[in-house]
Amino acid sequence: MASPIRILTAVPICDGHDSAINTINLEFIRHGIEVVYLGFHRYAGDIVRAAIQEDVAAIGISSYNGGHVEFFAEVVRQLKRRGASDIAVFGGGGGTITHDDASLMKGKGVDEIFFAGTSLTDMVDYVKKHYGKRRKSRAKLKPDLLLARKLTQLEDAAGKRSPRAKHQTSSIKHRTSKVIGITGPGGAGKTTLIDELVLRFLTQDRHSRIGILSHDPSVIGEGALLGDRATMINSQDDRVFMRSMATRGQAGGLSPATESCLNLLAHSGFDYVIIETVGTGQEALPFRRQLVDQTILVMNPDYGARLQLQKIVMLDVADIVVVNKTDLERAKAALLEIEQRLTQNKRKQQIVATVAKRHRDAGVDELYDLITQDGAGARPPRRERK
Amino acid sequence: MARARGRRAESESESEDTMSKLGQVVEAVEKHGRFVVDQVKRARSDEKFGRELAERWNKIKAETPITRAPTGLPLPRLALPEIDEPGEIARYLFGDGLPGEFPFLNGAYREMYLEPLQNIDQGSHGNKRSTSTNGAKLQKNGARPQEEPTRLFSGLMLAEDTNRRFHFLSAHQRSKRLSTAFDGLTLYGIDSDAEGVFGKIGEGGVAVDTVEDMVRLYDGFDLGSPEFSASMTISGPAPIIMAMYIAAAKRRFGSGIVPKLRGTIQSDIFKEVQAQNETIFPIEASLRFLCDMIEWTAANMPRWYPVSISGYHIGEAGSTPVQQAAYTLSNGFAYVELLAARGIPVDQFGPRLSFFLDCGLDVEYIALARVSRKIWAIGMRDVFSAGPRAQMFKLHTQTSGRSLIAAEFKNNLTRTAAELMLAYMNGTNSCHSNSADEPFTTPSEEWIRLAAHGQAILLEESGIFKHTMNMLSGSPGMKAVERAVEKAILDEFREIESLGGVLAAVENRYQRSQIQSAAHRYEEQIYDGTRPIVGLTRYRNGSDEMPEIELARTPRSKQRLQIERLTKFKKKNADKANRALDNLAQVVDRGENSFPALLEAVEVCSLGQITGRLQEVVGRFRPMV
Ligand code: B12
Repeated sequence: MASPIRILTAVPICDGHDSAINTINLEFIRHGIEVVYLGFHRYAGDIVRAAIQEDVAAIGISSYNGGHVEFFAEVVRQLKRRGASDIAVFGGGGGTITHDDASLMKGKGVDEIFFAGTSLTDMVDYVKKHYGKRRKSRAKLKPDLLLARKLTQLEDAAGKRSPRAKHQTSSIKHRTSKVIGITGPGGAGKTTLIDELVLRFLTQDRHSRIGILSHDPSVIGEGALLGDRATMINSQDDRVFMRSMATRGQAGGLSPATESCLNLLAHSGFDYVIIETVGTGQEALPFRRQLVDQTILVMNPDYGARLQLQKIVMLDVADIVVVNKTDLERAKAALLEIEQRLTQNKRKQQIVATVAKRHRDAGVDELYDLITQDGAGARPPRRERK
Repeated sequence: MARARGRRAESESESEDTMSKLGQVVEAVEKHGRFVVDQVKRARSDEKFGRELAERWNKIKAETPITRAPTGLPLPRLALPEIDEPGEIARYLFGDGLPGEFPFLNGAYREMYLEPLQNIDQGSHGNKRSTSTNGAKLQKNGARPQEEPTRLFSGLMLAEDTNRRFHFLSAHQRSKRLSTAFDGLTLYGIDSDAEGVFGKIGEGGVAVDTVEDMVRLYDGFDLGSPEFSASMTISGPAPIIMAMYIAAAKRRFGSGIVPKLRGTIQSDIFKEVQAQNETIFPIEASLRFLCDMIEWTAANMPRWYPVSISGYHIGEAGSTPVQQAAYTLSNGFAYVELLAARGIPVDQFGPRLSFFLDCGLDVEYIALARVSRKIWAIGMRDVFSAGPRAQMFKLHTQTSGRSLIAAEFKNNLTRTAAELMLAYMNGTNSCHSNSADEPFTTPSEEWIRLAAHGQAILLEESGIFKHTMNMLSGSPGMKAVERAVEKAILDEFREIESLGGVLAAVENRYQRSQIQSAAHRYEEQIYDGTRPIVGLTRYRNGSDEMPEIELARTPRSKQRLQIERLTKFKKKNADKANRALDNLAQVVDRGENSFPALLEAVEVCSLGQITGRLQEVVGRFRPMV
């Protein structure tokens, strides 16, 4: 089966007109397209970095607040500079982009501009027609691009393998990064928590590099909206390599290509690789043994009755249990109940209370210390890198 | 952060401990409905009560002055239904209320767009309008000031360019009612010299970096005059911009000017998170800065509206009209709860809240604002114990920008005219009419003039609104829409309540996801024929030529000039700026009211310097998509 088309969409800096792109995103995913959505108010540099890491076929930009000629051109220019000019650029902005502007923009390397009054069907057809073909992998690629391309190949290959095919486990032992697995139910705040950890990784060690593998569910017809990046304000950084993966029909919170992609990332010189599952159910055990070095379960205090806790299998396995959103009324009770539940296990499990949405949250600091001071995994010793 | 739980018991509702304020509003509105039905019954069964009502009714009618149309046709200044049965009189007086009376269904004020009284006698001779231009003086009997409702949103290029536009627009008006659009950088609290934003300077609004820009922006206007008011459409960095406005006014007129300043600043954080996407600090911090500002202005600027609770952006982002009204009202009640929790008396800040709704072509708009006014009044009176002035839903309306389309764009004139009719039928207190070139650009003078004249034609030229209040109120169709809309709004309230109140629903993306699916449905309906669009999906002329449109694009030279000015300002104030920023950061860290420190900071710091420092202290907004 052919892999889905992947594109990235965004709205330029100082522009919050996202209604058009939200509608278009919905329409694209309904037609089997995987959309990495970067959100509104985005710098050209952030768009280009994300497009490269996500190895999308094209970038769709929706611009309304003017300055589009410069902005689109800047995106094209930066793609070229980073050796990624095979990533196409297209977009629209209703009536604010005139026909004259559009010709100018095409002259500067933009593929297509969709004017006001274009039907949603026309846009879907265009994307399918022009961005469906696989690009040739080229010989000399810059590092991020090379890594991104390899991940795409792994994803494509996993799509072709039968689901029963054997996992690749050989290289788990020799990896060079510490791998942290983060899972938990939807709405617990995993993405926010990861982004807050990244902020600490980046500021506390001025050389560290972070890899992130984030998962979102595919929906009917195989498309997916991969929106985690949009909310990860601290992870838009050249020292962070993030890849968004759709589950592409696999249950359990990960994608058929997760393991191979993780292995590659864990050998690519990152200090930490963080892997985030989609929101999981009670019985989920998303990480196979040894897949990750440290497992973190993130929970929302509003999990319902105490009885529910007994059913959450990850509570037996997780190294650290984070109770996030502890500003909620139920937090105190939840912390007590979870603590009791963990003592049954008689293992050295840690419990941390966080409010990840809060700036400089002490709970997140504590979690960061637990992660960085734990000896497990292959975290390279601190060193000066050029 | 106060969650939407009712912790301060003040109404007699038996469920006050478990129910959020929004839940109590639902109950209060339903209770009011039952109250009206009871009054109707009582009027029919209790003879004395019925007689009293009938007498009151006849007195109102008898005291209503008769006005004359230019043709000589006599008409009552207030039209009332032809009823003489006490039950129906009760239903009208308690259920709808006279214009200016609870629950304000027919209008926040008694006279709205009527020609001033002194003109009446001359009415039959026509055009004596000029005798009545003595502006904002209060009319007899507490009717509202005579100001024309026209208030056109404008902003382009640099401060002096927008200033010129302001003078151009207000030259035609008795009162000077300015409405300011800021460029994207300003809306996001970013300086013009920031990296990667050059092309955006002065686009879609005016570039404002410093208090010096603010001085230029309103140059030549008497900011303290009772006939002047300024509106500023900005929310994320609103407290900083407010402080700049005050500082600019002080520079020009001395510090005595502050209590005289009249105007509105949008500052609506909830709707930013739900629809407009210009939040720059985390929600909690944003709400705190907002409340700091309101606390200060409510005490020091009695004539200022420090928040305009806005549904316009929700509607334009693609919500249904009912969602728009429901989210706007519930956001409003959430602000009231926050401010009350600070211990500010509801009758101090309540009258300083104002509202802003969209008006499009969907049938709900026949009564959307009317119903909103009623729900607000009941909620404020019965749940928050507010007095009459704080019960009034004072409304600015803008016709729908999204209903205006590029194909055969001159049809937009008709669309806007129809929307203006609806807006006035709903008794809006001020109004922006969009220009026909809306889909393409900040309007050119040609089209903005036509947009302004559209309002004047309806209000001044035509006899529809100037002779008689209630001219078009209360038709059976309008009543049917009112009932359906009211029920649907209450259903939305219940949904939000079940999610834990406004703030919890916002944090869980509830309103955003509802708006997004409505927007998607809207676009689908355009192309599946459910929503015909003339010139696009119906009666299309076949040519897709772009019309000749005069575009307002900011020349590079002006963009460079803005950066030069900013650089000079920063250089001049470098030392002082650091001290002011340190002080601001400390005040914020200590949890004190931040507004006085902002007032000091804007004297020597740019917008971007201030937002940058504040973000270090409280963090940046994590976008919701
Ligand atoms: C809706 C709207 C808003 C809403 C936005 C809500 C939201 N969350 O999106 C609100 C009310 C909040 C708003 C605010 C502002 N707005 Co506004 N807004 C509009 C409006 C009315 C419609 C735009 C729209 O979404 N249309 C619906 C979409 C689905 O249709 P479309 O635009 O025709 O686009 C079609 C194609 O172009 C294509 N398309 C679009 N993008 C893309 C991308 C891709 C990848 C593809 C394939 C296709 C595609 O798809 C569509 C379907 O056919 C336009 C005017 C107009 N009538 O167009 C002004 C307009 C864009 N806004 C404008 C301005 C100035 C602003 C403000 C800056 C005003 C201010 N100073 O405060 C603010 C800034 C807001 C912000 N955060 O940045 C100006 C821009 C002027 C300019 N560039 O010169 C306009 C043109 C109005 C005007 N004439 O002044 N706005």
